[in-house]
Amino acid sequence: MSTRSLLPQFFCAVERRLTLGIAHRTSCTKTVIRRVSYLKQKSVIALTRRHLISDIQGFIPCQRYTTSTMAPVIPKGDPIQIVDNLIKNNRIAIFSKTTCPFCTKVKELFSSLNLEVAVIELDTRDDGADIQDALLQKTGQKTVPNVFVGGEHLGGCDSTIAAHQNGRLEFLLNKSQAGPKAEMPDDVKYDYDLVVIGGGSGGLAASKEAALLGAKVAVCDFVVPTPIGTTWGLGGTCVNVGCIPKKLMHQAAILGQSISDAKKFGWDVPDSAKHNWHTMVEGIQAHIGSLNWGYRVALREKKVNYLNAFAEFVDPHTLKTTDKKKKETTITSKYILLATGGRPRYPDIPGAREYGITSDDIFSLPYHPGKTLLVGASYIALECAGFLAGIGVDSTVMVRSILLRGFDQQIAELIGSYMAKHGIRFQRGYVPIKLERIEEGSPGRIKVTSQNEVGELLEEEYNTVLFAIGRDACTNNIGIEKANVMLNPRNGKVICDEKEQTNVPHIYAIGDILDGKLELTPVAIQAGRLLAKRLFGGGTMLTDYVNVPTTVFTPLEYGSVGLSEEDAIAKYGANDVEVYHSFLTPLEVAIPKRDDNEGYAKLICVKSLNEKVVGFHILSPNAGEITQGFAIGLKLGATKADFDNLIGIHPTIAEVFTTLNTTKSSGADVLQKGC
Amino acid sequence: MVQKLKAEGFEQFQIVVSEVENKNPNGNIFILFSGSKDTTGQSWCPDCVEAEPVIEKALESAPEDATFIYVGVGDRSSWKDPNCVFRLDSKIKLTCLPTLIKWGTNKRLLDYQCNNLDTVLMMFED
Ligand SMILES: Cc1cc2nc3c(=O)[nH]c(=O)nc-3n(C[C@H](O)[C@H](O)[C@H](O)COP(=O)(O)OP(=O)(O)OC[C@H]3O[C@@H](n4cnc5c(N)ncnc54)[C@H](O)[C@@H]3O)c2cc1C
Repeated sequence: MSTRSLLPQFFCAVERRLTLGIAHRTSCTKTVIRRVSYLKQKSVIALTRRHLISDIQGFIPCQRYTTSTMAPVIPKGDPIQIVDNLIKNNRIAIFSKTTCPFCTKVKELFSSLNLEVAVIELDTRDDGADIQDALLQKTGQKTVPNVFVGGEHLGGCDSTIAAHQNGRLEFLLNKSQAGPKAEMPDDVKYDYDLVVIGGGSGGLAASKEAALLGAKVAVCDFVVPTPIGTTWGLGGTCVNVGCIPKKLMHQAAILGQSISDAKKFGWDVPDSAKHNWHTMVEGIQAHIGSLNWGYRVALREKKVNYLNAFAEFVDPHTLKTTDKKKKETTITSKYILLATGGRPRYPDIPGAREYGITSDDIFSLPYHPGKTLLVGASYIALECAGFLAGIGVDSTVMVRSILLRGFDQQIAELIGSYMAKHGIRFQRGYVPIKLERIEEGSPGRIKVTSQNEVGELLEEEYNTVLFAIGRDACTNNIGIEKANVMLNPRNGKVICDEKEQTNVPHIYAIGDILDGKLELTPVAIQAGRLLAKRLFGGGTMLTDYVNVPTTVFTPLEYGSVGLSEEDAIAKYGANDVEVYHSFLTPLEVAIPKRDDNEGYAKLICVKSLNEKVVGFHILSPNAGEITQGFAIGLKLGATKADFDNLIGIHPTIAEVFTTLNTTKSSGADVLQKGC
Repeated sequence: MVQKLKAEGFEQFQIVVSEVENKNPNGNIFILFSGSKDTTGQSWCPDCVEAEPVIEKALESAPEDATFIYVGVGDRSSWKDPNCVFRLDSKIKLTCLPTLIKWGTNKRLLDYQCNNLDTVLMMFED
């Protein structure tokens, strides 16, 4: 769908307003309101100042205008109020400085789109600095421009331009244009109050909660088989081909490590201890099978109608469902929730779909994968490489550029080097260009040809090639255009507001398909539950997508909450960021004498915010367990002093956070030496 | 018609199951584990008493070639014994009564789920 498809409607509205006589370009020296139109310029009537001000409600006047007539509009002097009013009363509000080139760029963007903006130029006002502080408090952003659209914080120049490109700007503009949502007509009868498309983490949570609150609910869940035919039961990605089997295989790998450590602790473990792929897969699949069944029972008990069928839109309130036997049914619903998740992407190269597999296949693979190539630098690629190597599979990771894009890059590299030391081969700078089958079999033999930036070719044989180069949102084959739901044209994800509401008021989206949000199970679950409570239980709570803890289950786990060092520097500036850090060696590995100083911990603090901790990072065994608890500290705004004041639990890994006293900027040695 | 069988105690249960498996290797076997009935024909386990008519009713829509086995696991004290063989056997691993199992699958219904006609029907329909 075109990003701009809905804009003409908006232009019409601007035009209408202008013809009604709202000011065209008018400005005062300290505050500027621009209402620009490429149309009907002549018809615009110049207004008296008084008209202008009463017309543009909430307009924050410059000092010159603060006469008694203005007093009720602007509580003078309260910078927070000034900020809030500008945001509340103007579709587009920009806090800017006349001298700042990025501010100019943002203003030019809006004027090129013929959009009206309200601007406060901070450098032309005595209270500019106070307003800037108020903005920092409100948004965590100190720099200008600071842009708000439809009451929502967009950010600075880059985020605004990105929002323009990814459809979010258009979405917010349309939304603010629509005004308060019209209540849905009650007299229309639908088959259901809520139909959820997708029975994964988010969809199941939402449907069960909605049914508990008395709504009539159906969930459509259908798994399209992978190219090699793998399929699975109810529960979505996490349970079947994600978190659950992944963590269990990670555990299989950890046990392997423990078995070899055990000898050093006195256990008489035979050197012949070998891993059996089939036993592991059977055990994991049996567990998943009982979870699938458990979900079905839970839906039944809560009277949610489970339709094992593929759903697609016929119109905004009607879905066509097609089951395994190709039987079609039409259902209507008052509300529709999109929770279709994502599926692994294949590269567009010969042989990829025919001979390659993905994370959708590996966890139930009926044969030992043999020598395996993992393509990609995503957390999924590294996790799979980690557990495969851990159970003795010959594993190679092929990475085009950086590891773990979006994660803290220092830690990403530490993960890479740890994995390399533990028998995982990395081929960096290469991408595969062709897969050819040399021999059929379980596993067969595949020749992989890859290429680096300067065109050098590399050929190598593998038994299994697993692609983990990214995931695509399942939004391209569900007739979404028939419901007019806006997608980010760059990634096909659904654009929503903070209520998970799309541009179509009765259609919502949660989970992995949500644009700009985290792809994590607990995030999808929280969003689903809170949304159901808001729709059917009078709830008001919104999902808080900030400071969500997460863990990458590589051989050394990486837990984090808050900002990466790069993001903290981008947000607060290098001078305002202090990083406290230490390498670490868990006591447990002291006797087997392995992994000396391979673990790492760091806290990222903002100096001007009383050393508030904005980033928490730990690379160690059980990092997930450590991070979960500390995350509450970051959510509550803990400072470095709060961490220092906390007493550790000895001997643990986590206690390192109570004694971090070396800053990265000092350049001092942080290798841990003894107890 | 669904074939209905009964077994009392672990040994008899094993014999009955293996007979059914031999006779009809592809048929579905549903097994209900209950507290054993006393001389009055009542189980000491109230949830089992409640579940019985629900399961009876649901059996009317079970597949024709299915077999249903009612297993009494013993009196209250033998069930409460943590070493009760029904709790320990790796194929059964009972944790509560009643438990309805579709033999050879991961599908099971636990205590109050066995007296919900909807969930029991789902078990038989599959
Ligand atoms: C290998 C791997 C490891 C992961 N590890 C973790 C982890 O450790 N921790 C974590 O928090 N997250 C992890 N994730 C991410 C997590 O699995 C997802 O964030 C989560 O499952 C998203 O939930 P969802 O509800 O958005 O969608 P999903 O769980 O993907 O569910 C969507 C469901 O909708 C179905 N569907 C799609 N389209 C239709 C349609 N048109 N009609 C009917 N049904 C449809 C799909 O088949 C699927 O069953 C992992 C993911 C992967 C792939």
